[in-house]
Amino acid sequence: MRKGFPVTEHDHDHDHDRTVKPMVDEITDFEVLEIALRELCIEKGLFTAAEHRLFTEFAEQIGPTPAARLVARAWLDPDFKRLALTDALTASKEVGVDWLEPTGFGTPSDFVAFKILENTPTVHNVIVCALCSCYPRPILGNSPEWYRTPNYRRRIVRWPRQVLSEFGLALPDNVEVRVQDSNQKHRFMVMPLRPRGTDGWTEDQLTEIITRDCLIGVALPTPGVTTNIITKTRPAVRPIAN
Amino acid sequence: MNTAGEPPESVTVDTLEQIVHRNQTWPVMAGKYGVENPVPPWKTSLDGMCDAIDRSCTGDDLGFTFKDRRDEEDALSATRYADLPYPENQLVALAHSLVARGVIDEAELRRRLDAVRARLEA
Repeated sequence: MRKGFPVTEHDHDHDHDRTVKPMVDEITDFEVLEIALRELCIEKGLFTAAEHRLFTEFAEQIGPTPAARLVARAWLDPDFKRLALTDALTASKEVGVDWLEPTGFGTPSDFVAFKILENTPTVHNVIVCALCSCYPRPILGNSPEWYRTPNYRRRIVRWPRQVLSEFGLALPDNVEVRVQDSNQKHRFMVMPLRPRGTDGWTEDQLTEIITRDCLIGVALPTPGVTTNIITKTRPAVRPIAN
Repeated sequence: MNTAGEPPESVTVDTLEQIVHRNQTWPVMAGKYGVENPVPPWKTSLDGMCDAIDRSCTGDDLGFTFKDRRDEEDALSATRYADLPYPENQLVALAHSLVARGVIDEAELRRRLDAVRARLEA
């Protein structure tokens, strides 16, 4: 809006083709519940507003890009690859992730024992947390919904090839599948093999194809593929009540 | 488990059941308004709340550990709140656990819900 001029119907200097995206224009029960619950927790001393802000800001800035960059750099630099496989915490710092953030001791559920699992032509790794949903959040962001479900957690341990095939990943019989179970003390991430067709690629180009799913181990990096698999979360066939 | 030693899914929290029934979940609301964000705007605040609780409640008298929270979330998401998507099921399960444990009184929660809604709609 121009200062000093009255606003008439089209007397404003924005482009109608580039207005803001649509928003949910009503107050939902869940939005209200989140605020009410948070306020009551603070009032009862379960945590402080400052603690909540610290962890919320942490949750807002994490994502899978540092992990992808770490792997891309390891593909290009044998020394960095050695570092990543022997001292993953130091290698994480080189891509901007300090596992001691945001408290100096990490987050409550993210302890600082972190190991990167190297895929080889005959070994494919995939990660899970059979107990709950432990995940290398500082470097990979929040886990996808399907990773948290009892369905994935229970079945990937028992029938890994079947579950991987549901993600569209069929591995030859001569490739051993190792399912690495995370826990409250240890976090893992997969270092996939560099795919064919990427000779001469830069670190940025390689980073683009190393998706979150590749770092969990349910997909392989593929030139031209830069998005994760969309899976429909299904309820367990034998739910807990049974 | 709540203070009476019952599994949390055996406790009915009418206030939460009503929220489930009204079904203002993010997929429904996003579809109604043509919004593309895959998760609701309050999700990171919920993440922060879970981390803050995990940090502060593990060693205190409440004994509501990270594992308790996640186990109860799994149990409730598979039973009482099976129709809710994520992260609504995580939010409602957390509220349920705190009410079932007696940390938050249900009447108190209902009053606060009304007060927050009145504030947001002012």
